[in-house]
Amino acid sequence: MANSALSTQHSALRFLAIAKADVLIRFRRASTVVVFLILSALAYLWVPDPATGRALMQIGKARALYNSAAIGVATALLGTLFVGLAGFYVVSNAIRRDAQTRCGSIIAATTVRSGEYILGKFLGNVLFLAAFFGGFMLVSMAMVVVRGEAPLEPLIFLKQYLLIVPPPIFYVSALAILFESVPWLSGRFGDVLYFFVFMAGIGFATVAALEGGMAWAVYLDPSAMSSVLMQISAATHTKSLSIGATNFDASQPPLVYHGITLTGGMLAQRLLSMLVPLPLLLIARASFHRFDPVRVKVAAKGQGKWLSRINAMLKPLTRWLGGRGPVSADAAMTITSAPLIALAIIGSAFAPMPFVFAALAIAIADVSCRDQRAGTVALIRSMPRLRERFVWWKLASAGVIAIAFLAIPAVRAGARGVIPLIAGAFFVVAAATALGVISGNAKTFIVVFLSFWYAVTNDGGASPALDFAGFYGKATPAVVAAYAAIGAGMLAAAQLIYALRLRRE
Amino acid sequence: MPFSPLRGEKVAEGRMRGGVHSPRMLTLEHVSKRFRAGNYGVRDLSLTLTGGVVGLLGPNGAGKTTLMQMIATITRPTEGRIVFRGEDVTRKPEAIRRTLGYLPQDFDAYDNLTALEFLSYIAALKGIRDRARITAMLELVNLHHVANRVVGGFSGGMRQRLGIAQALVNDPDILIVDEPTAGLDPEERVRFRNVLAEIGFRKLVILSTHIVSDVESIATQIAIMREGRLVRLATPTELPRLEDAYLSLMRAEVLSAES
Repeated sequence: MANSALSTQHSALRFLAIAKADVLIRFRRASTVVVFLILSALAYLWVPDPATGRALMQIGKARALYNSAAIGVATALLGTLFVGLAGFYVVSNAIRRDAQTRCGSIIAATTVRSGEYILGKFLGNVLFLAAFFGGFMLVSMAMVVVRGEAPLEPLIFLKQYLLIVPPPIFYVSALAILFESVPWLSGRFGDVLYFFVFMAGIGFATVAALEGGMAWAVYLDPSAMSSVLMQISAATHTKSLSIGATNFDASQPPLVYHGITLTGGMLAQRLLSMLVPLPLLLIARASFHRFDPVRVKVAAKGQGKWLSRINAMLKPLTRWLGGRGPVSADAAMTITSAPLIALAIIGSAFAPMPFVFAALAIAIADVSCRDQRAGTVALIRSMPRLRERFVWWKLASAGVIAIAFLAIPAVRAGARGVIPLIAGAFFVVAAATALGVISGNAKTFIVVFLSFWYAVTNDGGASPALDFAGFYGKATPAVVAAYAAIGAGMLAAAQLIYALRLRRE
Repeated sequence: MPFSPLRGEKVAEGRMRGGVHSPRMLTLEHVSKRFRAGNYGVRDLSLTLTGGVVGLLGPNGAGKTTLMQMIATITRPTEGRIVFRGEDVTRKPEAIRRTLGYLPQDFDAYDNLTALEFLSYIAALKGIRDRARITAMLELVNLHHVANRVVGGFSGGMRQRLGIAQALVNDPDILIVDEPTAGLDPEERVRFRNVLAEIGFRKLVILSTHIVSDVESIATQIAIMREGRLVRLATPTELPRLEDAYLSLMRAEVLSAES
C-alpha cells in the first residue's frame, strides 16, 4: 500500500516536472509574446465603439448592450476560435522538440512511463493555454472598462469564461498530443487536416444541434458556440447570433444579455465536453514512439505509407527538374522533396480557383523555413549573396512555384481577372515567405492563411474586401492594391527582422 | 558525493586499467537489430561486461550508436536478449533504466531553460530532488558560474558539458555516453576523460568515440565494431601484441576520421 502511494507520488512528480518544463519553455519564446499581442489587439478590435455602427454581439437584429456578460461571452467565444486554431499550432511541437534536441532519448532512458510523458505534455499544453486565456480574459475585461455601457462585474465576466473556455483548452491540448504521436498526422498533412477537423467540428455541432435536433452534437463542439446558441435560441426564439465587430441596425434598441444561464444541464454538458477528448490521449499513448529512432524517423517524415508511396511513384517525374541558378534549384527542391506537388500543379489546370490557392499555399508553406529544420542554414549563408538576399531568394523560389500553379488558371481568368490573380498570388507568396522567415516554421502561415481562406470562401464574394485574388470577380482596384501593399509590407518586415538577426549573429 | 570534481590531472594508469571487481552486470546474447529495409544495424552480437570503461570503436555505420541505444532501452533488439543483473531488459526495461545515465549523440538542451532548470528537470524525471547533487554536477562540469543563464546562449562545448552533467546526475551504475567529448576543448576533454575513468573504477561505462586517444587512455576493454558485428574485444594491453592486419586497418580508419 505504502509502495503504491509512493509510486503514485513519484509518477505525479514526474509528469508535473514535464508539464512545468514545457510551460517554462513556451513562455520564454518570442512567438508566444507575438501571438498574445495579436490576441490582445484582436480583443480591442472585436469590441468596437457602437458609435461606429458596429458592435461586438448581435442577437436577432438587436445588438447586445456592452455589459460584462455580453463582452464576456462574446470574447470568450472568439478567443476560443482563435486559440482553437493558433493555439493548436503553438502547442503542437512538444514531442517534436524533444526528438529534435535528443532530450527525448534521455527521457526514454529513464523510468518515466510513456503514459506519464503523454499526460505531462498534455498538462503542459493545458496550463499554457489556460494561462494564455487568463491573460486574454484580463485584456477583454479591460474592454468592459474602456467600452462598457454597464459597470464591470468581474465575477459575472469570470463565470462566462469558466463555462466556455475549459473544454476547448482540453480539446486543443489533447488533439495536439494526438497529432504529434500518430506518425501520419505529425507533418504538414496533419497541420492542414486539423484546421478542417476543428472548423468542421464547430459547423457540424451547431447545425446538428440547432437544426437537426441532435442535442448530443454539442459535445463534439469544442468552442461552446452550439451550446450558447441553443440557450439563446430557447430564450429569445432566434437562431441568429453574430459575434465580432459587425454592422448593426441602429434603429433597434440594444438588448440586455445576461450571459450563460448556469443550469445543471449546462454544467454537465460543459464538464462532459471536457472529458470527450481525453480518450484521444489513449490513442496518443498507443501510437507514441518513445523516441525509438526507427519510429521517430517515420514520424519526422510526417507521412503515412500511402503518401510516401505516391511520392515515391512520382519521384521519377521530378528528376528532370533542377536548376542552374539558386532560385530554380530551390524551386525544384520544393517539388522533388514532395512530388505530390507536381500532381497538384497538374490538377490546378482544372480545379476551382480557391482550391488552387489553398494547394499553392500548402506547397510553399515551408519554402522559407525548411533550411532551419534541415540544418542547412550555415551552408546557405556561406554561399555568395544568399546570406544577405535570403528573403528575396525565397520569395523568388516560392514565386516560381506560384507561376507553375497559376499559369493555366491565369489564362482561364481572362484579361479582367489576371491582375487580381497576380496581386493575390503575390500576397500569398509574400505572406508565406515573410511568416516563414519570421516564425521559423510553416505552421504560422498555414493557420493564418487557411483561416483567411475559410473566411473568404464562406463570404463567397459578398465582401469585395475579402476577394483578394478575384475569385468572385468582386475585387476592386483598391482591394487589389491593398493586398499587394500588405504583401510588400510583410516582406519589408521580414527583411528587417532577418537583417537584425544577421547583425546579432 | 560519489566522486570528486577533477581538475584536469591524469588519473594514475594502474587505477584506470585495473581493479574492476564488479559482479557480472550486463550480458548481450546474440543481439541483432534489423531495420525495415532489411539491413542490420547490429548483427548477432554477444558480449559480457562486468564493469570498467568499455570503449566502442568503429567507423561510421559500424553499429555503435544502435548498440548503445539498445542497451539504453531506447530501441529494442529484433533478435537476442540483453540481460542486466539477471533481468532481460527488453522485457523489463525498468531494471536498467533505474540506474542508467545516458548521453546521446548530437545532444542539445532546450534553449529557453537555464542550465540549472534543465538539470533540475532531468533530475526530477530520474527521481532526484537533492538540490546539492544538482549543484555539484554543475560544478563538476564547470557550469556552476552560468547555472542561471539560458542554454540558448551556450557554446557547443558548454551544451555538451550540460549533457554530461545530466547523465551523471543520478549517480548511475551504468553510464552510456555516445561521442561525449565531441565539441569539448582539450582541457575539458581530459577533465571529462578522468571523470569517466573514476566512475569506471566502480561501475560500468560504455563509451563510443572516434577519438582513439580517449579510449586508449581510460578504457579497460576495447570493443571494435564493423558492419554491425563485434570484430574484437580486448584489453588495451592486449591490443599492441596482437597487431593483426585488420586492427591496423581499423586504427588507420578511425585515426583518419579523427584527424
